[in-house]
Amino acid sequence: MAHEALFKPIQIGNLTIRNRVVSTAHAEVHATDGGMTTDRYVKYYEEKSKGGCGLCICGGSSPVSIDSPQQWWSSVNVATDRIIPYFQNLADAVHKHGGKIMIQITHMGRRSRWDGHNWSTLLSPSGVREPVHRATCKTIEEEEIWRVISDFAQGARRVKEGGLDGCELSAVHQHLIDQFWSPRVNKRTDQWGGSFENRMRFGMEVLKAVRAEVGDDFCVGMRICGDEFHPDGLSQDDMKQIAAYYDATGMVDFFGVVGSGCDTHDTLANVIPNMSYPPEPFLHLAAGVKEVVSVPVIHAQNIKDPTQAERVLEGGYVDLVGMTRAHIADPHIIAKIKAGETDQIRQCVGANYCIDRQYQGLDVLCIQNAATSREYMGLPHIIEKTTGAKRKIVVVGGGPGGMEAARVAAERGHDVTLFEAEPQLGGQITLAARAPQRDQIAGITRWYEMELARLGVDVKLETRADDAVIRDLQPDVVVLANGGHPFLEQVPEWGYSDDPDESLVVSSWDILSGKVEPGNNVLVYDTMCEFGGMSAADYLASKGATVEIVTDDTKPGVAIGGTTFPTYYRSLYQKSVVMTGDLGLHKVYREGEKLVAVFENEYTGEQEERVVDQVVIENGVRPDESLYYALKARSRNQGQIDLEALYAATAQPTLAESGEFALFRLGDCVAQRNTHAAIYDALRLCKDL
Amino acid sequence: MLQTLLPILIFAALLVGAAGACRRIRLWRQGQRTPMVWRRLALMPKRYLNDLHHVVARDKAIAHTHVATAGGYVAAMALALVVHGFGWRNPILGGLLLAASLVMFIGTVAVNLRRVNPPPKLSKGPWQRLSKSLIAYSVGMFLISLPLVGVAPTALGGGVLAIVLAAVLVWGLLEMVVGMGWGGPMKHAFAGSFHLAFHRRPERFDDNHADVGHDVHRGSRSTALFPLDLTAKTLGVEKPADFQWEQLLGFDACVQCGRCQNVCPAYAAGQPLNPKKLIQDMIVGMAGGSDAHYAGSGYPGIDVGKHHGGPSEPIVPQLVEAQTLWACTTCRACVEECPMMIEHVDAIVDMRRFITLEKGETPEKGAAALDNLIATDNPGGLDNASRLDWAADLEIPRIKDRPEGVDVLLWLGDGAFDMRNQRTLRSLVKILRAGGVDFAVLGDEERDSGDVARRLGDEATFQRLAERNIATLARYRFARIVTADPHSFHVLGREYSAFGGDYRVLHHSTFIAELFDGGRINVAAPTQPETVTYHDPCYLGRYNGEFAAPRQVLAALGLEVAEMERSGYRSRCCGGGGGAALSDVPGRARIPDMRMEDVRTTGATTVAVACPQCTAMLEGVVEPRPRIRDLAEMVADALVATAPAATVSSSTREEEPA
Repeated sequence: MAHEALFKPIQIGNLTIRNRVVSTAHAEVHATDGGMTTDRYVKYYEEKSKGGCGLCICGGSSPVSIDSPQQWWSSVNVATDRIIPYFQNLADAVHKHGGKIMIQITHMGRRSRWDGHNWSTLLSPSGVREPVHRATCKTIEEEEIWRVISDFAQGARRVKEGGLDGCELSAVHQHLIDQFWSPRVNKRTDQWGGSFENRMRFGMEVLKAVRAEVGDDFCVGMRICGDEFHPDGLSQDDMKQIAAYYDATGMVDFFGVVGSGCDTHDTLANVIPNMSYPPEPFLHLAAGVKEVVSVPVIHAQNIKDPTQAERVLEGGYVDLVGMTRAHIADPHIIAKIKAGETDQIRQCVGANYCIDRQYQGLDVLCIQNAATSREYMGLPHIIEKTTGAKRKIVVVGGGPGGMEAARVAAERGHDVTLFEAEPQLGGQITLAARAPQRDQIAGITRWYEMELARLGVDVKLETRADDAVIRDLQPDVVVLANGGHPFLEQVPEWGYSDDPDESLVVSSWDILSGKVEPGNNVLVYDTMCEFGGMSAADYLASKGATVEIVTDDTKPGVAIGGTTFPTYYRSLYQKSVVMTGDLGLHKVYREGEKLVAVFENEYTGEQEERVVDQVVIENGVRPDESLYYALKARSRNQGQIDLEALYAATAQPTLAESGEFALFRLGDCVAQRNTHAAIYDALRLCKDL
Repeated sequence: MLQTLLPILIFAALLVGAAGACRRIRLWRQGQRTPMVWRRLALMPKRYLNDLHHVVARDKAIAHTHVATAGGYVAAMALALVVHGFGWRNPILGGLLLAASLVMFIGTVAVNLRRVNPPPKLSKGPWQRLSKSLIAYSVGMFLISLPLVGVAPTALGGGVLAIVLAAVLVWGLLEMVVGMGWGGPMKHAFAGSFHLAFHRRPERFDDNHADVGHDVHRGSRSTALFPLDLTAKTLGVEKPADFQWEQLLGFDACVQCGRCQNVCPAYAAGQPLNPKKLIQDMIVGMAGGSDAHYAGSGYPGIDVGKHHGGPSEPIVPQLVEAQTLWACTTCRACVEECPMMIEHVDAIVDMRRFITLEKGETPEKGAAALDNLIATDNPGGLDNASRLDWAADLEIPRIKDRPEGVDVLLWLGDGAFDMRNQRTLRSLVKILRAGGVDFAVLGDEERDSGDVARRLGDEATFQRLAERNIATLARYRFARIVTADPHSFHVLGREYSAFGGDYRVLHHSTFIAELFDGGRINVAAPTQPETVTYHDPCYLGRYNGEFAAPRQVLAALGLEVAEMERSGYRSRCCGGGGGAALSDVPGRARIPDMRMEDVRTTGATTVAVACPQCTAMLEGVVEPRPRIRDLAEMVADALVATAPAATVSSSTREEEPA
């Protein structure tokens, strides 16, 4: 049988998990009502259980204490009895589809923010500042230690009374328990610090208190780090010693192991490995812990596809695989495997849109699956066929928005034609995938290509749709997602011209697409500070160019999320790319063989120059609106989208009207936003077609 | 002159024919002996005239032809014996004799027309000659009897014409009387009559067997394989003389009509099997000689005329290649169609038993499956304790926890290890819960039913599994067994009784139809019209006669069924039965591809199936192709939640769609 190891049920404590796949604890940023689980939260987990996930560990970093702030990430609040009935709803929703659900409970110690809500003074063993959150903190006192231990026990009690199947104590990500463990942070000389036993004491007391409260037959696990990757931190050997020490108590039902500490930007990026990492980069650390413990070990980090998961399990490295982002991208992974539809799984590409939003305190969303965590709004993972008339749908533009519109319309059962001017689908994703370490983002396109083929969408590549072509097809609905072009004409002094021989500057698209050969000495000017400029700089450097990337913002890449900019920086610093902030590009002119770029400091007005071979500009996207205006007047809705309906994700009123075609446009052909925005609009516009 | 000659000719023919018949009986009796109970011959007329009708009448034209020819012949022969043999030259009898000859002649004309350009299923050679001989006999008999009614000149009684006439009649008598005993085409009448009388499966004719309902499809009344005595000196059939004598007799009845050849899925797929040729080879083996005289279609890919055999010579490989035996899917299409009630499948399994048990030469993956069955009680070699892994989240009650007993014991079958079939099982569980059915499973106490082992010839493993399953079942109380696997259904329901296991076993389609009938489940009408067709599994349909329930279920779902040309008792096998999927004998085409073509011809976008093996075989057909859905899946998807009359505690749980 295929995926035999993946589908082998396992016993954790007295709990039977139906398969080996876990959605591990992560902050969903959905529990908004004072930390009570919302309808959105419940439906998000219900979908995973419906999709076959074996075990969900929800509520990453759910605080047990009032001084471990809950609001920043809208965490589940386990510090109050109010939560208990909410848990019951959550448990029922997951259980009725056969899944199991636990929650991670914690005190985050210094790993939070103090500047809001209750303005808590953050606690830590020795009052050492945490760099990622720029969090200063106090040294915890003995009384506070015992209070927090008791809070853990009460939190666990609430979990049990709420009917969840277990709780996971977070001793990872530099929360309070592992802050005590780590000599990097714990400088105490009393019974809570110093020797191994002393550093272990807090966690041990927490475990004992929790066990005493919930008894032997309730599942209690620990999530731990596999190696902090700091010379002064906990090594793999330390972690094996710690795991064995706790395991020996017989009070731990399972261990979750995460590679890497995360109290610096660089280590944080390891914790949720983005697309620049190889598959399961830290499996060896989890396997090392499994060697020394007697209970099941869970490991999640870059395990994204079923074959990979099967290989990990078959090898016996760990007992359960976390496929958390994989479930964010497609909560129906298991169901699709079982239905023999493995090819239809929308696979996580490691864009880390989810986690990068989370670190900004924004709700977790998927770059490519707009239905995830919007189940409560009625956005479907499985598109139902229409019961109404079959329509002729024309989609212009094969970027993410256009591909999603075509997919959803075809799933509805309509007759869909998709026009793409380029020889392949993907739009800007194709460009993004050209950069070093960013190739996996093309997985978004790959899935759409397979789905569009499966659904029988008529994909016309290298075909530019115009008014006449569209008119010939007599469409009922036209969706424009034809994107735009690099906005180089904004500042005439940059010297951009439509004639490549005349133009002094080229775009990041020109470079990434390979249309323009990299120069030797290249200046990249990036006003956006997102992926495009960094990718172009990385690409150029990887081709051997000497590169400086300059922005008028504070630093190149500053708008990229917390788990992604570090991997860019690693790559750029390694290639000696110079990153310069605070300089606006004033003017470019030619001098002999060379180009001179004149910059002006944002704050002093002083000018400085660079003499280079090539100037590459990343200044975002300018929408291409000509086709829209050619069609607008004839369309029955004048191209207007009903916003009430759009935001409520209900059918556009114009669909019920008759007359000429309805016209919608979305994505960068309206205004530059991002991949998720285009896909979200496409889904909510087309799901009721 | 003729008046003197005729009695001599007739009695001589009868005498020589009888001598041949004695020799023929001795040939049959080379087989393993059971007492020859002569009074069973009295069963023959009813079996011939009545019980056989449903099979013979499937080809109306040839049935009528045969009635005229054979009826005319029998009457003419009997009257000729009286009139010409004993010389009771009564004009009335003479008139009757003329009429009988005329009727025979009319049939003979039809026979000859069919033989002008015979369809490929028919054998030629002596059978072409027979059509002419029939003319000779009927015309000869007619003309020679004309004087009896005073029509023809008495001059017929002498001269050249009389000699010619006598010669024609001698030809006819040689074919029709002497040949009957000595092995010409007419031996079918003799062997066929005896075969009907001494048939090993009397249930196929009689309605009065306890386990045979009157309304059960006749072809399905006796389909269990015969148990093998594992203490016998030789296990299975190595040489023709190892067959039971009734089997040799049965082979000898073959008329080479080729109906079996026409329906054999392996033959159609170009695999080296032709049931007709196989039976003829068995006769060659029984009588000794080579297959060079065979005048019909051979085994695809194997030349005719290069094989030989004798009653005490091994059959494989000099008479029949092993590949031929392993190509059979045991679908029973040949048995179902055979107008002479020959049991091809029994013979094939008998020979497989020898190959597997005595020689250990089970081919390809078959050997691995048998090894696995011995080691792990399932053909996949999987840990038997994982039989319920697929249901870890369904909390299905185990029967060991229900000492008070349950209504339904759900028998999972080995599909429980297969991800595809697990979808069917989950659907079935959903249906049982929706219907408030009190059910439980054996879980890891269930073992493979033994079906595959038995069809691959490993009777020892089969009997061991059967005995252990029967011992397990004996520990628990349940009213009936329900299973989604027609193979388990057949084995548990029909074959375990020989080992002391008597159960009421229902296929899930039957049980679901019962739930619909009782109003215990409700379904939503289909949202969009869809054309579906239904593929009858061999072990449900032909083997057990359940054609109606699956169609009732589809009707209850509000679906129109576009029937395939080959459906019901004439359904074409998926290619997966009898271990054929394991022995995997190559052919020109794949059987499931051919079956899928049958499906496509109906225009259906979905083919409803009711067997894990059929599902696997049909899903192996390259896409694009119609969807393959088990009846249980279709019902489970359409279920609507209306409170059933009775619920069990766990029935409130929904389940994942996977």
